[in-house]
Amino acid sequence: MATNSQHDFEKALLRNYELKSSLWGRVSEALVMTSLVACGVFSLAITVGIIVLLVTQSVGFFSNADLAIDPITFLTDTKWSIGQTQGTPRYGILPLVSGTFRITGIAMLISLPVGLICAIYLSEYASPRVRSILKPTLEILAGIPTVVLGFFAIKFITPYMLQSIGEFKTFNAASAGIAVGILCLPLVTSLAEDALRSVPDSLREGAYGLGSTRLEVTLKVVVPAALSGIISAFLLALSRAIGETMVVALAAGSTPTFTADPRGPSQTMTGFIVETFQSESLEPDSIGYYSMYAVAAVLFVFTFTITLIGQLIRMRYQEVYS
Amino acid sequence: MANFYSTPRSEANRKSKNSYFSVLCLLVCGLVVMTLVLLLASIFITGGNWLSWGFLFANHLEDNPEQSGIWQAIVGSIAMCVLCAICALPIGIGTAIFLEEFQPRNKWLRGLHWLVQLNINNLAGVPSIVYGILGVTAFVYMFSYFPSITPNDPPSYEIGANYRYQMRTLGGDIVNFPCPDKTDKSFRVDQPLEAVDSQGNVFMLKVVDRRSAAPKNDPVLLNQTVVKGKKPSLYAEKSFFYFHLPFGKTVLAAGLTLGLVILPIVIIASQEALRAVPASLREAALGMGATQWEAVREVVLPAATPGFMTGAILAMSRAVGEAAPVLAVMGGVLVTTNGLTHLMAKTPVLPVTIYKWAGDENVGFEHLAAAAIIVLLVLLLVMNSVAILIRSRYEKMLG
Amino acid sequence: MTNHLGLITRAKTEKTMSWSQTLTDLDQDQPKKTTLHSQASSPHQKSPSEPKVAIAIKSFNAFYGDFQAIHDVNLNLPVKQVTAFIGPSGCGKSTLLKWINRMNDIVVSANATGSIKVGDLQILDRQTDVVDLRRRIGMVFQKPNPFPKTIFDNVAFGPRLHFKIGKQDLAELVEWSLRKAAVWDEVKDRLNKSALGLSGGQQQRLCIARAIASGPEILLMDEPCSALDPGSTSRVEDLIYELREQYTIVMVTHNMQQASRCSDRTAFFFKGEVIEEGQTDQVFTNPRQKKTEDYVTGKFG
Repeated sequence: MATNSQHDFEKALLRNYELKSSLWGRVSEALVMTSLVACGVFSLAITVGIIVLLVTQSVGFFSNADLAIDPITFLTDTKWSIGQTQGTPRYGILPLVSGTFRITGIAMLISLPVGLICAIYLSEYASPRVRSILKPTLEILAGIPTVVLGFFAIKFITPYMLQSIGEFKTFNAASAGIAVGILCLPLVTSLAEDALRSVPDSLREGAYGLGSTRLEVTLKVVVPAALSGIISAFLLALSRAIGETMVVALAAGSTPTFTADPRGPSQTMTGFIVETFQSESLEPDSIGYYSMYAVAAVLFVFTFTITLIGQLIRMRYQEVYS
Repeated sequence: MANFYSTPRSEANRKSKNSYFSVLCLLVCGLVVMTLVLLLASIFITGGNWLSWGFLFANHLEDNPEQSGIWQAIVGSIAMCVLCAICALPIGIGTAIFLEEFQPRNKWLRGLHWLVQLNINNLAGVPSIVYGILGVTAFVYMFSYFPSITPNDPPSYEIGANYRYQMRTLGGDIVNFPCPDKTDKSFRVDQPLEAVDSQGNVFMLKVVDRRSAAPKNDPVLLNQTVVKGKKPSLYAEKSFFYFHLPFGKTVLAAGLTLGLVILPIVIIASQEALRAVPASLREAALGMGATQWEAVREVVLPAATPGFMTGAILAMSRAVGEAAPVLAVMGGVLVTTNGLTHLMAKTPVLPVTIYKWAGDENVGFEHLAAAAIIVLLVLLLVMNSVAILIRSRYEKMLG
Repeated sequence: MTNHLGLITRAKTEKTMSWSQTLTDLDQDQPKKTTLHSQASSPHQKSPSEPKVAIAIKSFNAFYGDFQAIHDVNLNLPVKQVTAFIGPSGCGKSTLLKWINRMNDIVVSANATGSIKVGDLQILDRQTDVVDLRRRIGMVFQKPNPFPKTIFDNVAFGPRLHFKIGKQDLAELVEWSLRKAAVWDEVKDRLNKSALGLSGGQQQRLCIARAIASGPEILLMDEPCSALDPGSTSRVEDLIYELREQYTIVMVTHNMQQASRCSDRTAFFFKGEVIEEGQTDQVFTNPRQKKTEDYVTGKFG
């Protein structure tokens, strides 16, 4: 089918094209690969850096000759009073931990059940109309900065909700807990929904085929099948709640207390760290500086282990179903 | 209808449980929606009236809520956003490419891969205050490698600062003249030298031995005379590229710290963007004789770019709302005298301003805090809308 | 070549030069640089009546992990002819095709033993420059996969990657490739528009143009028409028949009628083995093996 002119055209094109030199190609490839690997290693370096930093500075805290603090007292003493001029300062971290757990406990009481039910609804029952309202709501809630929720806690939850039903002080654990619960809610919902959705439909169909109601299919088949994913969702939300800073800084107060009563001020580990930063007398190598690191180390251990376990569980269940 | 295995009552029981549960679900969802509505409504009610153009363009005024504004905070937030994006995006996208495109066959390297992936997922869950601590040590104090900056000592290494002495003349005018050596603490004025007065005129400064020897009747001359032996005060004119080590409590340190905070988000979002590129494109590129990097550079990266952009905006909108790391690194700055003239300045940012105002005793600031929250939410809305817009436009282009 | 990390980079050696020499035509004036379209010949000169061999496959076994996909295949694919691989699904046709241009390198668990030779270049050799190999052996995939770039950039992708070529030459080369692929008239006014706006058949012809723009000597086609409608299918088949004047073509197909229309030789695969191979007419009308006869008469598959 080639005409003469086409043949000429082809002949004209049968030239030699020089191949690009491979030297530059190899050098630039090597450079690119090195920098990409460096990026990957950088993220590992961050984690290592945080761990090394916290460990070395905490060691500084414990080896400070002036104070004679030992780790056991630190971890078990129930009074925390830094920089007090009268009496001996005591460095037990338990009040801070208790504050954290009070707030986290209330937050989990709210976000876990509500989040799970929302996730079940979105995954199993979803009518398009409700979904089109609920999903954007959760996305907006997820995007709201934490200072806003802290503001909401101290200006609204405390005066209007809590103080009208009981003897709540201005700074209390309950309102901070509720706000943190609202914060963690979208996280629980989206992770739990992912877990529920990844359960294959064949399981559901089998159960429906046997005559189960939707509730029974959900509670007896789907949720148990997605259990590891749901647990990982809970753990990740827990870790988030423990690490929450701004809400507690605004709403929970700056007095560490060791009690189970959520109606009074309760400084958390994160709240203490923020407060230390803002104090004017923060100098490197001062006792305040070191105590901040010690508390941060405990905080990091908590969040890191919980997040790690949650991630490992999540990676495992994703493998099982994908 | 009854069958052999269930009584009519138990079947009805199960059905009613089912419907109760549906109702419960709906109620719970309604509760969630109501919570959001309540949250937004309360903010708007508190702060809506205090929003005005004056509010947007003024700066914070101590003890004076009516005259305070958030202009510096808005500028600071946007600048911080850009700064942390510049820090986090290259490394983040590079790490994502490393994780997604270059899967090694070697067993040990695959272990490294898995470790890096696990690590990044973990870093996303580290509390932001811990990043703040890391930022303080690494960027503000730089591991104490340099002596810290105190008010009396200039930083050990700096460029872009022009030091000058200033002093008050006998006539009351403030004049200034160049400072040759900023570390010389024993400098005293004892020779006539060239100085600049407050109007900008250059003149020769005259020195007299005692105050009594000054020309009393000539105000102009008096304005150009000082007593011998006076110690001038030191100040620095900082140009826009002023830079010093250690970074100290500056915007640069805060931006780098925020970059660390958003790095895991950028990486995870970029990984999603890369995964969304269909495998057939990579196959086609490799089949044409491209090396792996060439295939990534020429085909995969352009196709994943809209995903990268939405990921970047997502990360930046998270950074805009972060108060804890900025509080740790820069402190609770509400207003600065000069504004954001160079990287080593401090600046207020919206979330920190909200935090300080919310904790202020003056009730007026409570309303201002709510108004600032509205501005912050609007900013976030704009950013997310831009992200959605980019995504839909590019999805059309990719067909 | 794949370096020790398992990554594909450009090779240090110019191992493929030996291949181009063997496949270069008897036109002695041609310089040693790569020609755009070298006419293939082979040092393995058989008797004039037999076609020269472009690809020689000997004792070839392929595995995915522990699963053996191809069992002891011996094939000689002739130069400038269309060879069709036919057979039911999952019998190893695509796998063998992908091994010819080492596309299976991206599958982590894939490995192979035996030898595949093009000219005197051992394809399975670890030292072989895979990048240059894939320039010399073009591939067209089952589902058209143009890049999300302009039509011009799609065709120019290969030349830009491999050659030092000026803008004018590049434009001519793109035009030539599109003409050769019988799609020029339809796209000449929209070279700067996205390639994704074309129809399925046009996209596939664009992919063929893209493959021939780098000047390959062999074209591999993995079920090129299976995702196309009948009209486009026949156009692509005509194109394949034309292209064999210049390229050695290996085509995998499910469609036996397509094989009998387009190909000169046919190899019938079943469960990873080559049951029969020979002239297309002979395989379809007078098969030697019973299995072949069952397959081509539609008793299974």
